[in-house]
Amino acid sequence: MGEYVLDFHQLSKASVPIVGGKNASLGELINAGINVPPGFAVTTQGYTRFLEEAGIGEKIFALLDGIDVNDTDLLDSHSAAVRELIESAPISPELEASINASYASLSDRCGVRDLPVAVRSSATAEDLPTASFAGQQDTYLWVRTSGDVIKNIRRCWASLFTSRAIAYRIKNEFPHEKVLISVGVQKMVNSKAAGVMFTLDPLNGDPSRVVIEGNWGLGETVVAGHVNPDKFVVDKILLEISNRTVSHKHIECIFDCDRGEVVEAETPSDISDLPCLENREIIELVQLAKKIEDHYGSPQDIEWAIDKDLSFPQNAFIVQSRPETVWSQRLQKPVIGRKSGYELIMERAMKTTRINM
Amino acid sequence: MAKEQGTTNRFPDPHEYVEKEIPAELEGWEEMYPEHFLFGKEREGWEKSQFWYLDKIHAPEPMPPLDQIFQQAWQISLAQHTTRVFCIPPAQGIAHRIVGCYQYICAIAPPSEEVIKEKAALFGVRAHYPVEHYEELWDEWLNRMQELGRELQNIKVPSELPKYTPAQEIFPNPYKGYTEAYELMEAFDKAVNCVYKGWQYHFNYLNLSYLYYLMFVDTARRLFPGISESVIGKMVAGAEVSMFRPEEELCRLARQAHAQPEVAQILRKDGSAEQKIEQLKKFEAGQVWLDEIEKIKDPWLYISSASGWYHYEGSWVNKLDVPFDYLKSYIQRLDRGETIERALTSLASARERLVAEYSKLIKSDEDRQSFENAYKDCRTIYKYAEDHLFWVEHWFHTIWWAKVREIARVLVKYGTLENEDDIFMFNRLEVPTLIEETVTCWALGEGIPQLNWKAKAKRRREILKAAANWSPSPALGVPPTEVAEPFTIMLWGITTDKVEEWLKGTTAAPENVNEIKGFASSAGVAEGTARVIKSVDEIGKLKDGEILVCPVTNPAWAPIFTKIKAAVTDIGGLTCHAAIVCREYGLPSVTGTGVATLTIKTGDTIRVSGDDGTVTIVKRAGQ
Repeated sequence: MGEYVLDFHQLSKASVPIVGGKNASLGELINAGINVPPGFAVTTQGYTRFLEEAGIGEKIFALLDGIDVNDTDLLDSHSAAVRELIESAPISPELEASINASYASLSDRCGVRDLPVAVRSSATAEDLPTASFAGQQDTYLWVRTSGDVIKNIRRCWASLFTSRAIAYRIKNEFPHEKVLISVGVQKMVNSKAAGVMFTLDPLNGDPSRVVIEGNWGLGETVVAGHVNPDKFVVDKILLEISNRTVSHKHIECIFDCDRGEVVEAETPSDISDLPCLENREIIELVQLAKKIEDHYGSPQDIEWAIDKDLSFPQNAFIVQSRPETVWSQRLQKPVIGRKSGYELIMERAMKTTRINM
Repeated sequence: MAKEQGTTNRFPDPHEYVEKEIPAELEGWEEMYPEHFLFGKEREGWEKSQFWYLDKIHAPEPMPPLDQIFQQAWQISLAQHTTRVFCIPPAQGIAHRIVGCYQYICAIAPPSEEVIKEKAALFGVRAHYPVEHYEELWDEWLNRMQELGRELQNIKVPSELPKYTPAQEIFPNPYKGYTEAYELMEAFDKAVNCVYKGWQYHFNYLNLSYLYYLMFVDTARRLFPGISESVIGKMVAGAEVSMFRPEEELCRLARQAHAQPEVAQILRKDGSAEQKIEQLKKFEAGQVWLDEIEKIKDPWLYISSASGWYHYEGSWVNKLDVPFDYLKSYIQRLDRGETIERALTSLASARERLVAEYSKLIKSDEDRQSFENAYKDCRTIYKYAEDHLFWVEHWFHTIWWAKVREIARVLVKYGTLENEDDIFMFNRLEVPTLIEETVTCWALGEGIPQLNWKAKAKRRREILKAAANWSPSPALGVPPTEVAEPFTIMLWGITTDKVEEWLKGTTAAPENVNEIKGFASSAGVAEGTARVIKSVDEIGKLKDGEILVCPVTNPAWAPIFTKIKAAVTDIGGLTCHAAIVCREYGLPSVTGTGVATLTIKTGDTIRVSGDDGTVTIVKRAGQ
């Protein structure tokens, strides 16, 4: 059953076809010595085997065949039908046992019974290497118990067929059958603060900056844009914080144990105006970001979290990293071109600085 | 930054301002300066159309008339190197005016398209040669500067006007044909000529080195849009520049003294330099060490205690207590086993590493090549901007102050002036009149009455004092739409933001300002108690962990940096002394604020952000 469930340690970028970019990248990171929360992936083979054993593959593609993306009612109802099929079809005892065993072993390793985990989808589409699938699939947080892990793995599989995902593929003329999905199950970081960072400045493409955005609590508020995050711009070479914006962060995402779900809560007023990261944590994150960028040789878009329970620097986790797609392609082309010192001084000499009053 | 129509986006009209706003206590200030430095009817149209701002960089304090000589000299020299020598196409010169004893300057708007085109052709063949031949040009330059300094030093000033010319000077010796009367007049004229010539030299390659710096900034910003000023400063600033040499010489002398227990023991004591020298003279090792100082005194102790621009600042060579205090603290640090020298080689390799790592971040080979070309040319010629400073503003100025005082002593002797420093109350065109009248009275014989120059000097001192208590408008006239003059951009930092800030500030009294801006010249943030120090003599007042707020620093201030948390200056850009040393020690600094010593008071709690160049007054002292 090894090919259906793989530990993150066993993954590398060569694993993309079977575990998707996101999971493969976590494996790469772990093997590159980056502090990533441990976990395992249910491979695309696991997903296709499920479709086969449940015998629902043909039904699904028939439902989607020739659908008009502009007919939103129809799209929505077919999407719902497909997802219902995936979430209710039987799963083979063999696959189920394999997932349960991996979850139990992960819980053991972290020394926590029913370890809280994040369950995340990771899509693969070999012919669309640079298309950003951001936001097309789902993530479920604070999942504990093996029953819930399996339930959420199915929901991830189903998320491949939201109306939005279906429409996106049709618009990009990408066949539904060719898109496969893998699911990652990863130790949940008990995050004091979390957010995203870029190994270049997303505003202007400056490759000498690492830009970190973060908020108290879980990273969702930052990713979803529900709060003005704190922002730190750091010089990559000198590790100097060249700009810091500490915002009023009125809400944070926390995990509500009673309701068993992530909720937005009001941030305690004594910390809402304080920076969510200490300077040393900022620098540690930047160093991790540099390591990741060096490892991949291209600019990265990274999710991070600072764990409440661990001490510095073990508390700084990378949750996810993917290639930055906007600037990294533009930056391949010269900005200035090859110019001699003479040409450059001639250009400068003709310049004036405008004063706009 | 569009402004709503109808809001004020201009400063007071210069002519109305001069007429209505200068305090009555300054009455008579106009007479202190040459006519062409005053706003007036004859040039009204042109003057009203320009933008004039207070020169906080070179003239933060009211201008004593004779100290204006350097300003007069640079108005010509800076401009000519831009407009006539190197022909920087859209740039013109910087004009001066004095308003109530304060110096205002203005970057004149670009010339016509036709002239720009004409200059561009000339610039094209002149701009690059100095970069390609920098080393030899620098050697030539230093040679001519040093020769001129010696010439100024060697000008003969008669120590007296003798009652009767001694017989041996006339017959039967060949009679030279003139007396001390002429010699005194000639001495001042010659000294003035030297100053003007020295300031001609001052700008030989300075305009170009600023322009190359701006070129590198442009290139770096296109590749790294968010690159900070502090990083660019770190890439370009040299560590081995001659401004640091005086400090290095002191370190060397401290080590020599430390190896001789008897010498070190005397230098460790409290007390004046004079007392210590007396004691050292009494034994051989002490004398040997004193001889070492004597050897390096000229040029390396010819360093001003401040900017070099004002006569009252003094230099190490005539304020030996300052270097002796440093020697004391260096010896104490050696006692504790510390290293006192700056790690020059590691600074240089850190700079090279920084540039190499930035260069590695550039994805395209073509861009990387351009970045490296820009850097190489900028580094080559920017050395001039760093090295000329010691030789002109410090060494040469120190010689000038000494020469002028030598002349002043004669005027005091014959009752023209009350004391030496009175001479600085007369501008460089008036001093010849004082001298002429002094020697005329001597020549006319006995019992000849003299004009009352003493009273005039006294009145002018009062005017300057009143001016110091007045805060003139940071700018006058209409803000320009574009600026092309390299110094205006780089040194004075005239940008939309700066002008806006001045506009905001024109109505706020210093005590109501709670944030000021300057160059983000060394990264980091620090909060603490401010200590305002106006001159190097007050350094002793500073306590460990305070934030230094001062007009400007130079190596004369060096040891203070081991005590402070951050530094804020009125004057200085990204490669000024305070910025370089703060980056070395990892202290935040904001330089070139223009108003720090005016706005911040000792005891205020301030936050210095070297990340974005702001200084926030968190809490006023006593509140």
